[in-house]
Amino acid sequence: MAGVATLASHASAARPETRADAPAEIAAHGIGKRFGDRTILAGVSFSVRRGETVALIGANGAGKSTLLRCLLRLVEPDEGDALLLGVRTGTLGKRAMRRLRARVGFVFQKHNLVPRLSVLTNVLHGALGRAGFAALHAATAPAPLRREALDCLDRVGLAALARQRADTLSGGQSQRVAIARALMQRPSALLADEPVASLDPAAGEEVMALFSALAREDGLTLLFTTHSMAHAAGHADRVIGLRAGRIALEERATPALAPALERFFA
Amino acid sequence: MTGPRAALPPRLDRPGIAAFLAWVLVLGLVVASFRGVGFSASTFIEGLPQMGRFAAGLFPPSLDRIGPVLAALVETFQMAIAGTLIGVLVSVPLAVLSARHLSPHPLVRVAARGLVSFFRTVPDLIWAVFFVVTVGLGPFAGTLALIVDTAGFCGRFFAEAMEEAERGPQEALAALGARPAAVIACAVLPAAMPAMVATSLFSLEKATRSSVVLGLVGAGGIGAELEVALTFFNYQEAATIILAIFVLVLAVEQAAGALRHRIIA
Repeated sequence: MAGVATLASHASAARPETRADAPAEIAAHGIGKRFGDRTILAGVSFSVRRGETVALIGANGAGKSTLLRCLLRLVEPDEGDALLLGVRTGTLGKRAMRRLRARVGFVFQKHNLVPRLSVLTNVLHGALGRAGFAALHAATAPAPLRREALDCLDRVGLAALARQRADTLSGGQSQRVAIARALMQRPSALLADEPVASLDPAAGEEVMALFSALAREDGLTLLFTTHSMAHAAGHADRVIGLRAGRIALEERATPALAPALERFFA
Repeated sequence: MTGPRAALPPRLDRPGIAAFLAWVLVLGLVVASFRGVGFSASTFIEGLPQMGRFAAGLFPPSLDRIGPVLAALVETFQMAIAGTLIGVLVSVPLAVLSARHLSPHPLVRVAARGLVSFFRTVPDLIWAVFFVVTVGLGPFAGTLALIVDTAGFCGRFFAEAMEEAERGPQEALAALGARPAAVIACAVLPAAMPAMVATSLFSLEKATRSSVVLGLVGAGGIGAELEVALTFFNYQEAATIILAIFVLVLAVEQAAGALRHRIIA
């Protein structure tokens, strides 16, 4: 189909510079979160400009996943506030928050597809926020939505598997379907929580390249967490490091940054 | 390794005083139960000739009223199908309201769980009497009793299946702005479906057996035929009815088992 970029072209596309004066699309303002006696996040503040790709790094338990969930208010922060697509989320009601989430794609470490449903139905679910029950199932969805879901699958190179059950896919295929589901949201920004951590290195690199290239192609703001120094240095404009719930590093991403990142984890 | 060999641990741990008392209590309860029901092997053995005479009276089964018996059997099955179907449909919203993470409010959850428990703990025969009084004699009263009984059975197990459904897909759909009802329809129900179908099929088997008994209180089905045959000591006709019930229950169990196997696989 026209306008469909292949995996190879995604991987080779060059990353344009993000305008330094672009407005903040995603921001954390002093976000704090405790679970019982444990402080997970202690007043975290940062911002991601429109069209920018930022990697959030940190050891296990540093608070990366909780921070992403606090941004979408999947986990309610104890203190502080978040900015998503220019909207402060702290005071939003449930319905307004759902409308906002519908415009922000979220890709999980474990794809989180519905196992017993078809690949196409899983991608259709990406439109649940904007189309409601019309996106319930491939068998009942209107033709334009089905077409759009198939186009999203085509962009991740899996249109041929549309009718296959999600629980028959490999890890890499599942994560690509999860990306297609996020694209189905027609998002303005993408959040990804260690999107390739459960994949082998080759599949991980392939999915990461596809992911960042699709975000670049659509001009999306991308914030992803990772343990891979190569992914952080290779796919992001900027790297933010979390340690014990606080920001401990914030640098522009360049290949020369890799040793500093290694030291950060040491 | 050349050091001294470690001592073998004891085969059984010594029970604590609380565990010991608990064992004594359980044992006492078992003994009291057997004494309470007048359990006696000798009484049973003395009664065996009586059982033989009764069993001999059943043969050969009489086919004189095979037409009405088969009609009542069909009615029994229809009661089971209709009662199970509506009971299952009623159970789904009750289960959603009862499930810990899906219920809109803890008080709603307590109320829904209480209602399901009430449906389950009142015996189906009592429900049948209640509905016979409400809508009169016949299969409709029996079907209503089966609906309530099925809702009590399925409501509980559906809620458990929903609570055990994988949370990841639910979180993913919530993260993309889906409404709670859409999360239930798109992530919870598909995950819980195999368990729900299996429970529904068990429920159909249970309803088939129950619908036989409901006839004894005038709630339709083949139970009424059985009661009349036994009341008038017409054991040969009773044998025909018992055989017909056996074939129906066996057929439903086999069909349900095959379906369950296909769906869960």
